[in-house]
Amino acid sequence: MFSKLNFRVILSALLILLGLIIAAVPENTTKPYKLTSGQMLEEIKSGTQFVQPDQVADMLINKDPYLQLIDVRSPEEFDQFHLPGAINVPLDNILSDQWTDILDQDVKMNVLYSNGTTHSNEAWMLIRQLGYGNNYVLEGGLNYWVETIMNPASPVSTNPGDEFARYDFRKGAGMALGAGAVAPSQQEGTSSAPKPTIATKIKKKKVASGGCS
Amino acid sequence: MGPLIVNEIISQNTNLLLAFFIGIGFGFVLEQAGFSSSRKLAGMFYGYDATVLKVFFTGAITAALGLLFFSLFGWIEMDYVFVNPTYLGSTIVGGIVMGLGFILGGFCPGTSFCGAAIGKIDALVFVGGLFIGIFIFAEGFPLWQNLYLSGFMGDITISKALNISPGLFVFLLILVAVGMFWVAEWAEKKFPREEY
Amino acid sequence: METNFQQVRKTRYMNPYVAGVLLGLVVLAANFIAGRGVGASGAVKSTIVAAVETIAPQHAANATFYKDYGESHGGNPLNSWLVYQMLGVLVGAFLSGIIAHRMKWKVEHSPKITSKRRLIFALMGGILFGFGSQLGRGCTSGSALSGMAVLSLQGFISMAAIFGTAFTFAYFFRKNWI
Repeated sequence: MFSKLNFRVILSALLILLGLIIAAVPENTTKPYKLTSGQMLEEIKSGTQFVQPDQVADMLINKDPYLQLIDVRSPEEFDQFHLPGAINVPLDNILSDQWTDILDQDVKMNVLYSNGTTHSNEAWMLIRQLGYGNNYVLEGGLNYWVETIMNPASPVSTNPGDEFARYDFRKGAGMALGAGAVAPSQQEGTSSAPKPTIATKIKKKKVASGGCS
Repeated sequence: MGPLIVNEIISQNTNLLLAFFIGIGFGFVLEQAGFSSSRKLAGMFYGYDATVLKVFFTGAITAALGLLFFSLFGWIEMDYVFVNPTYLGSTIVGGIVMGLGFILGGFCPGTSFCGAAIGKIDALVFVGGLFIGIFIFAEGFPLWQNLYLSGFMGDITISKALNISPGLFVFLLILVAVGMFWVAEWAEKKFPREEY
Repeated sequence: METNFQQVRKTRYMNPYVAGVLLGLVVLAANFIAGRGVGASGAVKSTIVAAVETIAPQHAANATFYKDYGESHGGNPLNSWLVYQMLGVLVGAFLSGIIAHRMKWKVEHSPKITSKRRLIFALMGGILFGFGSQLGRGCTSGSALSGMAVLSLQGFISMAAIFGTAFTFAYFFRKNWI
C-alpha cells in the first residue's frame, strides 16, 4: 500500500486539515440539539412539560433533592408569597446569563410556575428552544395549586376509593406545606397516598457510566 | 442518535454483546500494533521504539476528531457521553504510581491481557500483579479514601479548563502530535533497534 | 541474520499509524454505542469484587470499597460492560496472534537479565499498576486514552503523569530493557 513515510505524511496532512475544519467551525453549531420549530411544536402538542401539583407536593414533602422550583413572577410577587425552596427567576430577564447555570443543567428537575400557566409556559418555551432540558411547568400554576393542595375539595361519597386517597394526600400535603390546621391522624394519608396518576416523564441525568469504574 | 444505549436504540444485552465485539477490535489492534511485547512498549522510554507514542496519540486524536465531527453532524449527543471526572490529587498520584508500574513491569493493564493471550508468561505474571494491586487498594480503601477524593473539579474538559473551543484544542493537539511523530521517527533512526 | 525459521514465519507488526487510526475508530465506536470509552483495569476490579462477594460476603457487605461498588453498580459485578469487553480483548489478541504466527509460550526479557528477574519485576509492576489504576480512576486505556478522546482534563493529566514518571525513572531500570 503506502510506504511508511508516505502514510505518515498523508495521515498528518489529513489530520491537520480535519483539525483546521473543526477548529474553524463556530462552536455553538457543534451543540447538536437546539430545537427546530417542528420539534418544539411536537413537544407542545404532547404536553409532556406539565407536572401535576400532586407530584410536586409529594417531592416537596419528601425533600426530593431533584426538585428545583422556579418562580417566574416579578420579585414583588415573589416576596409576597412563594412555594418553599423556590428561587425567583423573573420572566423579564430569564435570558440573562446569570440564570444559565440554573436553567441549563441536567441534574435537577426544574419546575417553573407563575400564577396561571401563561408566563411559566412562555418561560419554558424560551429556554426549551435554547435546548435546555429538564425544565417543566407546574400544571395550573399557583391558582390551581391553592385550589388542589391548599384547599382540596372533598370528594363526593360516590367517587371511587382512590379519589379519597388523593383527597387525604392533598389534605396532608397542604398541611405539611403550610395550609390550615388538619387533624394529625390525617397526615398519615401522605404515606399511603398514591403516586400521581398522570405519569410525567422525569428525565434524570442519564449519562452513560464509564471509565474504569 | 448516539450514544445508542443512552437513547435506548439498543437493549442492555445488545450493548453487552457489542462490548464483546468492541473488545475483540481493541485486543486485535493492540496485538497487531505490537503492544503484546513488553520490550516494544518499554522501548518508548529509551527512544529505540516509539510505537506507543505513535499508536496512542494517533488513536486519541482520531477518536477525539471523530467525536467532534459526529457531534457536529448531530450523530452523537456529547452531553450523554461519559467524561471522566477530574480529581486532581488522586489522578496525579495514581498516574505516578502507574508510571512506576509501567517502567518496572513493561505493560499496562490492557496490553498485559493481550500479551497473556498470545502466551507471554511475563504478561500473565503482570496480570496476576494487577489482581494483587487492586485487591490491596480495595482492602486498604479507608486509608487512602481522602487522597482518592482529593482535588475534585467535576466532569471538566481540558478545552473548558483552558477556555478555548474543543475544535481549536484538538487542532493544537494535532500539531503537537505531528511534531512528536517527526521527532519519534528521528529518534528511532538514531538509536539502534530490533524487532522483538 | 534474520533468516532463521522463526523470523521468516513471523509477520511484521502493523504500521503504527494505521494501528492508531484503527484504535481511534474502536474508541469512537465504543462512545457511539455505549457512551463510554474502552477500559481494562475496571474488569479486574469487577472480578475481584465478585470474588470477594462470593468468598466472604460478610466482608463485602462491611468494607467501604465493596459496599460503594455494590451501591453504585448493583447486580452481578461480572455482568458489566468492561468484563465483556475484556473477554473480547483476549479473543481479539488471540486471533491476531494466530494470524501473525506469534503464539508462543515465552518470557520476554532483555538478554542482560534472567527470566526470574523479569518475572519478579513484572509482578511488582503489575501490583503498582493495579493499585495506581484504582487511585487514578482508570489505567492507560480507561483514563488516558478514552479520557483524551472525550477531551477530559483528567485524561490528559493522567497521560502526562504516567508517561512522565515512566520517562523519569527509565534510566534506573535501563538494564531490564536494553
